[in-house]
Amino acid sequence: MAITESDLKPEPSAVDEPALRTAGLSVRFGGITALDEVAVEIRPGEIVGLLGPNGAGKTTLFNAISGFIKPDAGRVLLDGNEIQDLFPYERVAAGLGRTFQHVKLFRGLTVEENLLAAQHRHLRSGAVAAMLRLPSWRRDEDEARERVEQMLQMVDLRPWRNRYPWELSYGTVRFLELAAVLSLRPKVLLLDEPATGIQQKEVEALGPLLKRVRDEVGCAIFLIEHDMGLLMGVSERVYALDFGKLIAEGTPQEVTADPRVLESYLGRTRRVLHSEEADGA
Amino acid sequence: MTAVTAAETAIAEPDAGVRARGVSLGRLRISRSRAIAGAVLLGLGFIPVVVPHHDFWMYIGAYIAVWAMLELSIVVVTGFAGMISLMPFTFVGIGCFASGVAVSVWGWPFWLAVPFAAAATVPVSIAVGAASVRLKGLYLAIATLTFGNALGETLFKWNAFTGGQQGHTIVRPKLGVLSFRGDFSFYVLAMLVALLLVWMVHGLKASRVGRAMLSVRDNEREAQALGINAIKTKLTALVIGGAIAGVGGAFYLALLRTAAPAGFQSPYVEISSVLLVVWAVIGGIDSAFGAFLGATALIVQQQVYQGVGERLGAWLGLYAAAILVVFLITRPGGLVQVVKIQRERIHSDRIRGGIETFVILAINVVIVYLILHFGK
Amino acid sequence: MVLATAALPVVEVASFGLAKGAVFALLALGLVLIYRTTGVTNFAHWGIGLSGIVIYFLLTSKAHTPTPLAAIISIVACAAIGAISYRLVFRYVKRTNQLVLILIALGVAQFFAALTAWGFGFEPTTIVKPWLPVSNIKVGTAEVQSTQVIAAVVAVVISLLFMAWFRYARTGRALRAVAQNREAASLAGIDEHRYSMIAWAIGSALAGLALLLIIPHTSGQSGGVITTGDTTPFGTFLIPAFGAALVGGLVNLPLAVVGGFIFGLAQEMLILAPSPWGGLRSTIAAILIVILLLMHMERFFVARAELEALEA
Repeated sequence: MAITESDLKPEPSAVDEPALRTAGLSVRFGGITALDEVAVEIRPGEIVGLLGPNGAGKTTLFNAISGFIKPDAGRVLLDGNEIQDLFPYERVAAGLGRTFQHVKLFRGLTVEENLLAAQHRHLRSGAVAAMLRLPSWRRDEDEARERVEQMLQMVDLRPWRNRYPWELSYGTVRFLELAAVLSLRPKVLLLDEPATGIQQKEVEALGPLLKRVRDEVGCAIFLIEHDMGLLMGVSERVYALDFGKLIAEGTPQEVTADPRVLESYLGRTRRVLHSEEADGA
Repeated sequence: MTAVTAAETAIAEPDAGVRARGVSLGRLRISRSRAIAGAVLLGLGFIPVVVPHHDFWMYIGAYIAVWAMLELSIVVVTGFAGMISLMPFTFVGIGCFASGVAVSVWGWPFWLAVPFAAAATVPVSIAVGAASVRLKGLYLAIATLTFGNALGETLFKWNAFTGGQQGHTIVRPKLGVLSFRGDFSFYVLAMLVALLLVWMVHGLKASRVGRAMLSVRDNEREAQALGINAIKTKLTALVIGGAIAGVGGAFYLALLRTAAPAGFQSPYVEISSVLLVVWAVIGGIDSAFGAFLGATALIVQQQVYQGVGERLGAWLGLYAAAILVVFLITRPGGLVQVVKIQRERIHSDRIRGGIETFVILAINVVIVYLILHFGK
Repeated sequence: MVLATAALPVVEVASFGLAKGAVFALLALGLVLIYRTTGVTNFAHWGIGLSGIVIYFLLTSKAHTPTPLAAIISIVACAAIGAISYRLVFRYVKRTNQLVLILIALGVAQFFAALTAWGFGFEPTTIVKPWLPVSNIKVGTAEVQSTQVIAAVVAVVISLLFMAWFRYARTGRALRAVAQNREAASLAGIDEHRYSMIAWAIGSALAGLALLLIIPHTSGQSGGVITTGDTTPFGTFLIPAFGAALVGGLVNLPLAVVGGFIFGLAQEMLILAPSPWGGLRSTIAAILIVILLLMHMERFFVARAELEALEA
């Protein structure tokens, strides 16, 4: 199954700018520092991993980058443009996409309708046009349905188009979420633990899939993952986070051999692989 | 997922393919069940015309049409956008008195008063929208309850707006030579407007804006992550819902010819608002057609109550409240969901499904009959 | 309830305000208990309490039961009614669908509205005998009803006792465990349904007591009057009671009690206020409530985990 739609490619970005960069990003909750002057950089088309024990601040970093948490200090730049003051939906328009750790999507909508909802950014017609069934509404609907049809075909979800997310396996729902986010044509894709909760054979297929997404869509991928096999196999570079601070950066081999990184996992006596706990911070 | 296709990992069985049995009307294809439903409704629509006492029945029909409009506003605000508002009847009141002022004080024709009534709801919709930014779910419900309460004490006691304690009195509209004063003509007018609004709201659901509302309802965070401006979406829903309620309010006044502000003050306004929301849920909270079903059920119930007097009405009230609770627990999707489930049951096992459906209907009919017969 | 409000001096109004505050406080206490333990906003709270008054009325007027005994029986009856409501209805409602949960609570409220209207025989007014000793107490130059003072004192005492029980007693602690984490509680061997029923029973008993403290005593020796406005789903007291509960974010007990007294006093003292303000009581209460809602008071009081448990 190949994702080969040039329509999915985002607009080209400036050559030298990193696709995503944060500078001095800090988040404090009450007395706790969840993120401490975090500076990461993702170049266009790179696949970068983010690891760290539970509570290290990985999802907090994603939330701060995507706009669901307001940082106390620091900047977030997408393609060189500052986005830290934008609402989440505006950052999407700028080219940022993200998935969530516990995927839920829209349970009242079928698979097809979920993907149609993801077409929101590409369409223009308003409420009045919809209520009066004006031509602009008709055009939008046709365009949306066509794109969704292609997407359904590409990701092989056509047989499930009329099913609701709660009728599907968790892995399929994750897959649907990925398809929805890709509809947005993101330049940078933040994936929060994509392998959690899915079967082993699907995890093994995820690595090649992510590489193909990057190759054919052209987006950079920043990925939080506990499954070391997946992380090592797919990342070109890796960041390590602990207690909100970046403690290591480098190739997967370098970082996973770094004694500080090992200490952060062992020192907190948490399980490295497939932790069942919700990673809240 | 090349090695493992979605097909192998999904829990549900895939659909074999879309059944395509339907009726063609030119370019429009209508599914068979929709065609049947449409024909039935058209037939029902004619009943008031042919039965005896038809002016009463047409009044009931017009009543249903007006209440369907009111229910539609809830479908948009709560059904589509997921905001729990316990003040819909206050919006109806705004439309009612705004049109009352326009027609009886300023001398406007009804046709101008209706859009004016819709526009008059906008400021209040925006106020609720502002609250909805920070308040969700239960909190928003409580806030709207208190808004309705407060407006009842302030806006609906402002005599210039309400026309004093008796309220405004208007005559039903005329359009050139066409007069809608008569029962039949007003019934047709109200029904046409209601159907138009149902059509419009239905169209809204299958559109970019409509799906944005449904997304925000189901998972606001995910909606934002997919590029949807949640605040704007909710505000749009509130303004549209408010406007529909405003239009309904204008027709409400035209139906009753006069409306007193007391009905929009505490404690009646809360009761009516809750009633509207409850029956919208019974019809099917996110279905435009459900609004019509809910309105019909509501009026039927009201008529039964009024017919039987207060004592029996309380017995029926007990029964109805109990049934309501059971209904809400087992079929939160409302009558629309009941229809859907029964259709599926009938489809998968004609005999058993049919018997089940019949039994459900029969039990209810029998109980109501018993109450009516022996409760005296 | 009908009460003349012509030019009353401050002390008397304040006294009545305290009595009302006592009622709001006890109602709010029950609301918070039920909400925290079972996640249900009990719109039927008033209706259940009023059902207790119906039983009181029937006992005292038809069965000629001595009024204090009737009062006790009514409170117990309220507890039973509350427990049954949970067992038959709320136990089966999934917490996820907020709208349906609210509507079911409203439906149950309507059920009790109809039940109580029937219980009172559909009369436009019904007279209920008092059970507390009725006399006038002189406070300076003013005269204050003994029942109002007793109501306030009883409310404070019961609240304190209840809060202590909730915090220290075994059953109380079990209730708190259920409130915080239903799954963990059941893993620890606590039967969440049994304790939910207990929460509803106690909360409803508090409602019954609250109404018994005021309704039979609004007209002094002749008792109290129940009008048709009382047999509506929210009655006359439920919204301010919710307001009081919101002072504590629907989760904090002491603040709910304090909030109750504040709302009661404020509501009555406004009668003394110059002309426009007095008539705006509902509006002022509404503004207060919205401010409380916006402040999201609950974030000050409970751990995030419990908040999420309430919303999940």
